[in-house]
Amino acid sequence: MAKDKIVEVAGLHQRYGDFEAVRGISFEVREGELFALLGTNGAGKTTTMETVEGFRPASAGTVRVLGRDPHRERRAVRSHVGIMLQEGGLFPDLTVAETVDLWRDIVPGARPRDEVLEQVVLADRADVRARQLSGGQKRRLDLALAIVARPRVLFLDEPTTGMDPEARRTTWHTVRGLVADGTTVLLTTHYLEEAEQLADRLAIMHQGTVRVAGTVAEVLAGHGDRISFRIPPQAAVAELPRPHGAEPQVSAGGGGPVATYTLTGPPTGPGVQRALRELLDWADDRRLELAGLEARSASLEDVFLRVAGHPAVEEAHR
Amino acid sequence: MTLTRTRPDAPAARPVDPRRLLRLARLDMTLLWRNRTALFGVVGLPAFFAVMLLVSDGNGHQSAGVPAVLYTGTGDLAFFLLPAVFMNLVSVFTARREELTLKRLRSGPLSDAEALGGSVLGATALYLAQSAVIVVIIATALDGGLPADPVLMLLGMLLGAVVFALLAMALSGVTPTVEMAQLTVIPVLLVSMLGSGFMFPLEEAPVGVRAVAQVMPLTPAVEIARTAYLGRDFTVDGDHGALGLVETWTACVPALLTLAAWIVVGAWLARRYFRWEPRRG
Ligand SMILES: Nc1ncnc2c1ncn2[C@@H]1O[C@H](COP(=O)(O)OP(=O)(O)OP(=O)(O)O)[C@@H](O)[C@H]1O
Ligand SMILES: [Mg+2]
Repeated sequence: MAKDKIVEVAGLHQRYGDFEAVRGISFEVREGELFALLGTNGAGKTTTMETVEGFRPASAGTVRVLGRDPHRERRAVRSHVGIMLQEGGLFPDLTVAETVDLWRDIVPGARPRDEVLEQVVLADRADVRARQLSGGQKRRLDLALAIVARPRVLFLDEPTTGMDPEARRTTWHTVRGLVADGTTVLLTTHYLEEAEQLADRLAIMHQGTVRVAGTVAEVLAGHGDRISFRIPPQAAVAELPRPHGAEPQVSAGGGGPVATYTLTGPPTGPGVQRALRELLDWADDRRLELAGLEARSASLEDVFLRVAGHPAVEEAHR
Repeated sequence: MTLTRTRPDAPAARPVDPRRLLRLARLDMTLLWRNRTALFGVVGLPAFFAVMLLVSDGNGHQSAGVPAVLYTGTGDLAFFLLPAVFMNLVSVFTARREELTLKRLRSGPLSDAEALGGSVLGATALYLAQSAVIVVIIATALDGGLPADPVLMLLGMLLGAVVFALLAMALSGVTPTVEMAQLTVIPVLLVSMLGSGFMFPLEEAPVGVRAVAQVMPLTPAVEIARTAYLGRDFTVDGDHGALGLVETWTACVPALLTLAAWIVVGAWLARRYFRWEPRRG
């Protein structure tokens, strides 16, 4: 039998007045899984998160968390859930320690303060007021509040925004540890590496709809491998070869124009190796040097940019 | 697929855990202590009025047949609802909405009633403490004795606290920033200072003005506090005559009903205007 569905979103629409921010999305997060919501600014990630968190009822569609309606049964759901909002919510005049103590006093089953502060690497800042923390430190304190009650489910809206690379890695480590202990996590992020590192499954949103969803491998599949190099000065763009019919895309690069081939097609198709050989033969014949030559599989960034570049279907029809 | 259409901000009716409520009230006291501007507003005005009582003592002025200091002192017991509860809570709710701490508190297991009730409890405790100081001043320095009917007096004060807490919720919803809260409270403050009879007796006012003044929210609180303290009929239309225990209560029935009506109106206004999150767009 499939693992329990902890979060179920089906046909969710969410509107603010006349503006429909979320236009019919569905996904589910299974027990012990980390699900990442990616997407362009304004795609509707925070709106979706806040609906799942129970801050507002769905305009249409259903949302279930632990089998309950998170808005109508907010109290029952919230005692199993840890939340980190996209923005703020710290009392500026409380110290780090006082902030954690406040939460420990109002949530059931709280962990010791020092343990939580160790985990988010803020132990040495315990006596500093929240208003004096740096942006990344505030984020870490916010994470501490979300995990202080050992929740079964964690909702993290851009948990690592504003963190330095080191702090981000520490946070990944923390989140991985929580997932290993069985916590189910739904997070949003603009860092594609974060999704690649952490997510069991992910969805990419744009203009209120989910455009691509699945495991990282599933999302990347069908987006092709890439070969790119700087176009040699002696060669004209029109002369560039078309290995197996792939058209070069020319873009501006640091050291001159760059040609990129996207090799799509069935997995049994030509493949990078054969296309590369064809390119190298072409270059050898002409005694050209292909500077910055690079062959790689599609990255989440490629998929993301592709999704972001496509207007919504409705928009295209206007 | 089910269709839901509910008011987004409708506060859900939830039980209240007294332990959490006390914890949040304590939080408010801590934050008030650390915010000197707010502290000055909440404690400064009452302190000024208390000092005025001491300074004016023995100047021989009379108000409505009693020494003016006793008249004003018993009025202060109701008037302090404004700085300690009303103005205080308008600032607290506005600031917390804008800094998103209200939303954050609500993201935990607190019910809506707890998230707001802690502040109401803290503000009410502050109000009662300030009133206690006035009682001590009246009883000692002003020789005015102790409250004739402390139960009625306390009931009036608590109902008044509910009224002004609800009005503060509503007003915070239309107050964009904490700084603006200094301005948006002014109309209510003025009406309450001039039209409640807390300091200036309403007896000589024209009938029309009196009728309007009588239904203002602070007026019944003043009537009850003064009547219950002095044991004489100090309702707006009262003759200042001495009252027995039962008579004190019957004299105050209209005022109690007016407060009850304000609770209904205040609850409606709070539901209508209070906002948990900043307005966007
Ligand atoms: N309270 C609100 N009132 C009106 N419009 C809103 C409100 N909140 C969000 N929106 C609009 O809804 C859309 C989705 O916003 P949302 O915050 O969900 O995006 P997001 O995907 O989280 O973006 P980001 O990556 O920038 O955080 C945006 O166009 C935004 O302007
Ligand atoms: Mg967002």
